[in-house]
Amino acid sequence: MLRRSQIARFLIMPKQNPDAEAALKKLGHHLRLGWAKKHPVQDKSLESVRDTVREQWEKEQVAEPKRKPAPSPTKEQQRKPPEPDRE
Amino acid sequence: MEQVIKLVKTYRLASGLAERLRLAEAIFRLIEPDLRFFVFAAIQPPAAQDVLQEVLKSITTSMNKFEGGSNEEFWGWCYRIARNRLNDHFRKKATDRLQPMPPEELWQLVEESAQVSPLSPADKLDLEYAMNLLTRSKPECHDYLWKHYIFGLNYTEIAEERNLNYDNVRMKIGRCLDEAKSLVS
Repeated sequence: MLRRSQIARFLIMPKQNPDAEAALKKLGHHLRLGWAKKHPVQDKSLESVRDTVREQWEKEQVAEPKRKPAPSPTKEQQRKPPEPDRE
Repeated sequence: MEQVIKLVKTYRLASGLAERLRLAEAIFRLIEPDLRFFVFAAIQPPAAQDVLQEVLKSITTSMNKFEGGSNEEFWGWCYRIARNRLNDHFRKKATDRLQPMPPEELWQLVEESAQVSPLSPADKLDLEYAMNLLTRSKPECHDYLWKHYIFGLNYTEIAEERNLNYDNVRMKIGRCLDEAKSLVS
């Protein structure tokens, strides 16, 4: 049995606040989730991303052949099979 | 969200256009809402749309140069780009800077989220407490708490943005949190 003084102490005890950091992180999670639900990904955004990927890929294709070094003539000669001995 | 970094790593290695388009779409379907929230919470709506397009373009262009290996690093990198584009805009038009979102608007978002992830009575108490912490803090503290807890920016990223060192930011956020707690209790 609780004594009257214990009950009184319980009643006047300040309300325990939850962990502030955990509560703020939880709020962040719910705000971002709510935002994503309210504002789904827009086609305009995805279209802009696709255009940028295409532009970048095309630039790379133009730049790519220039980056490949031309085969060195000396190495090319070395790779040739030896000529058969003349009789 | 665990899969974002896997998609980014695959994107870095992809050479074919079709594969890159497929991966970029998958990545941006995951990250666009948070980036939109980040931009639209900072800037007036007509300009926010343009800034968001700039952010998406910058991220797409440099995604194959991103060298990190974790989700946190990728998000930090994306927010850094978003912040830079916002600063570019504020240099031209400082008046477009928004005030913090009002609590009613924040509660609407929480209610939306409850349709996806239902809230227990304990969750509701936690969220109410967190909302009080945010709304009662002074503007500078609100910004620190908002960036660190709501968007998950770490001390290093905030230090870079504010031109402060890591320990300054860690202490400021700690002090802001203590101050907010004392105002709420």
